[in-house]
Amino acid sequence: MIGYILRRLVSLAFVLFVVSILVFVLMNLVPGGPFTLADRGYSGAALENLERKYGLDKPVHVRYVNYVSSALRLDFGNSFAVAGNPPVSQLIARIWPVTFQLGLYTIILSFGLGISLGIIAAYFRNGPVDNFVTLVATAGIAVPNFIIATWFLLVFGFQNGWGEESKWIIGPIAEGGAALLSWDYFLPVVTYALAPLALVSRYTRSSFADILTADFVRTARSKGLSERAILLRHVLRNALIPMITVLLPQIPNLLTGSLFIEVVYGVPGLGKFFVTSIFNRDYPMIMGLVLLIALLWGLTYLITDILYTVIDPRIRLGASKGA
Amino acid sequence: MTRKTVCIALLLLLALMTALPATLAQDNVDIYGRELPMDAAPYEMQVYRNLCDSARQETSLSSIVTVYSRICSTGAFDKFSDSLVVLNNNMEIIPSAATDWSVSEDGLTWTFNLRGDQMWSDGTPVTANDWVESWRFMADPDHAYDFVWLWLGIIDGWDEAVAGEITPEEIGLTALDDNTLAVTTQVPFPPLPATFFFWPPMQAKALTEIGPGYILDPETHVSAGPFILKEFEAGSHTVLEANPDYVGPRAPWLRRMEFVYGDMLNSSFLAFQDHQIDQVGQPLLSPADFEVIFADETMSQNYRQHAGDFRTDYLLMDTFTEPFNDVNVRLAFAKALDRESIVENVIGTTVGIPAYSFLAPGFPASNSAGLKDIQDYDCEAAQGLLAEAGYAGGEGFPATELALRGESAFIQDWFIAAAASISQCLGVEITVNNLEFQDYMTRLLERPTTLQFGGVSYGMDYLDPANMMGVWVSTGRHSWRNEAFDNLVREANSFTGDPAERIAMYQEAERMMVEDVGGIFLVHRIQGDLWQPYMSATGNCWEPDRQGLATTHWGNEHCWGEYYITDEVTNYDTHRNE
Repeated sequence: MIGYILRRLVSLAFVLFVVSILVFVLMNLVPGGPFTLADRGYSGAALENLERKYGLDKPVHVRYVNYVSSALRLDFGNSFAVAGNPPVSQLIARIWPVTFQLGLYTIILSFGLGISLGIIAAYFRNGPVDNFVTLVATAGIAVPNFIIATWFLLVFGFQNGWGEESKWIIGPIAEGGAALLSWDYFLPVVTYALAPLALVSRYTRSSFADILTADFVRTARSKGLSERAILLRHVLRNALIPMITVLLPQIPNLLTGSLFIEVVYGVPGLGKFFVTSIFNRDYPMIMGLVLLIALLWGLTYLITDILYTVIDPRIRLGASKGA
Repeated sequence: MTRKTVCIALLLLLALMTALPATLAQDNVDIYGRELPMDAAPYEMQVYRNLCDSARQETSLSSIVTVYSRICSTGAFDKFSDSLVVLNNNMEIIPSAATDWSVSEDGLTWTFNLRGDQMWSDGTPVTANDWVESWRFMADPDHAYDFVWLWLGIIDGWDEAVAGEITPEEIGLTALDDNTLAVTTQVPFPPLPATFFFWPPMQAKALTEIGPGYILDPETHVSAGPFILKEFEAGSHTVLEANPDYVGPRAPWLRRMEFVYGDMLNSSFLAFQDHQIDQVGQPLLSPADFEVIFADETMSQNYRQHAGDFRTDYLLMDTFTEPFNDVNVRLAFAKALDRESIVENVIGTTVGIPAYSFLAPGFPASNSAGLKDIQDYDCEAAQGLLAEAGYAGGEGFPATELALRGESAFIQDWFIAAAASISQCLGVEITVNNLEFQDYMTRLLERPTTLQFGGVSYGMDYLDPANMMGVWVSTGRHSWRNEAFDNLVREANSFTGDPAERIAMYQEAERMMVEDVGGIFLVHRIQGDLWQPYMSATGNCWEPDRQGLATTHWGNEHCWGEYYITDEVTNYDTHRNE
């Protein structure tokens, strides 16, 4: 197992390397630069100054080599577009906790409620409860979260003053930190959770419904096992494998934030930077964020594979064919 | 009731009567010891709040560091010192940090006398050297200032310093003494004071010792302006408080200003309706919002129209290549544009007036009525001109894309309507493509340009035709060239004779441009601000101007000292109650 994990980590490093080349080249191919905001254009000298300031006066391959050598020393450059031009790593460290918390609460809500609703719907399938869960799930998937966010703003009023002490439910651990739980999170989390909740409940229902009709469940019932034992010991464990395949990759998405949620609710988080850094041609920020998300996805898939072996001991990671 | 009880009650009442007026007075006095206006809410409630755009590139609170990436376009920036001049509500240049100014006989040296009583919050005096160091900072090629164009060809040594050929210390700004600033120019330039309106200086000492970032960190921040930075977190919020040490023409009634980040374009009106912010500008209001505003008595009374930056929306063309290198094609397009109908049915008469030339009514040298006939809507004439160019009935005319510059949905509609009008009249195929802002600008500015046909707008940077007309000279952003136009504008820019003659020169230049169809003009925007009913202003900020508009005009930075919250605020559930 340890050998397998090490091999996967090496391949993850290779993936990050390839991603960094692709993104670096692509973002430099996109027209425009961090300085093309001027209404009147620039004179020759002013343009040269700007290119030199942003390090764009050197060829792409030289810039890439410089970037990688700095990145290996954990220096991911300074943001072009954020006030004070802070280092990208510092910026991410400062704003990601807010997005991370938002994502974490969203995961707890969507997975907790979604799995419960899915199990109930599967157990009482084709009944009124199942129909209700299906309706909620369809609505959750069909209505985009920026529409829901706008409805919430209309119904509950505009939310601002993010991070105000008066809204804290559980304050920060360290002085000056973000609150552990705040009413600020309520509307964004509910909005953000609706789509994954719908997905989780549908997959759970489908997965459970399949297993509930399997032969071994019938056998277990005929042996006189209690319904609880059948559900927890046999159905849940077997239903988890397909669910993990589909649901776990949702987690990196949720932990890295959503442009719509963060912009609409004014959340000072990471999500909006995924889009705004591209609009603003904030190259160091684009690279930092893409590498972060690639790393999270790589780790999530690794964890997913490891979890398979925990849930089903018959699965052996890294075993050769026929072994 | 015993005598003792009565005595105690009387004493208590006396104490209460003594304490109450003192408390009331304290609530009615600002940090400068001035009594608030009669109808003002208590000083504690003098808090102004607005939104900042979460999606925007923003890097500094000072125009000395950046113009295009200033923090919080709704008012947080440039509150930390006073510029030399500002515009009053009749759009006249009036003193601010300068008391007066004069120009030498040859028109090349300007002398500005400073107030001499202003201090930075660290106790050091504001001196002419603050201006000198700030301008040197902007000219320094290492800082790659994004607005250097403004003084190219104007301030002595500016062009060479920007190009790195001389040091920034050699530019034509000199502190003759602590309170006298001299500016030398390359050529006579009558509107020079107007160009100094936007740029309150940074503190020379902090700029040299700490760098431009001093202004963003409350620990290192110093201010000689009406406000001082208390909190700043990029992408989260900015908080300013009245600067108790401020001496100058815009001492604020507002105790505090808060700027929070959000989706400005889509949330501003919602936040306004919820009384969470105190003002929304016209560009953030959609036609649907305006329907709500004008159906509401209170809101419609508090929507204050103004000319803004005299912005004009227009169509531009690559006049160096086919088919737009033929003036007949350009004029055919111009005459096929039914502006009256578009303004009436799409843009809305509260948001714009049809444009047939570049300079909007009210702007110096504007001649909108005199130039109207040239590009006026005449579909039949347009069809004739297109036939003359060899494209009768649109036959053989290449399919054309109208590129837009990352416009909002409602401004896209304006240009879609313009494309439809031209297309219907001339039988040509026009598709509209809303490009990303950077993509659009890159294509526009490439030489040769890769933007054949585009929609765009432009508004003034300072109140003089030299600014607005300068964008059309051949070194500007357009792929249109007219030597006679270039020469006339350059001559007018340096003309020190009769101002009326100078205006006539710009009018003649604009006529050349409109006749040669450098651009096809669509709409002059009428801008405005929606204010909460409990926002008011003292002084002449909201007094009717000479056109009868009671509003905050672009450039009237002194208004920030005049705004206050009235006691009507207590009738609403606002952010002050949180």
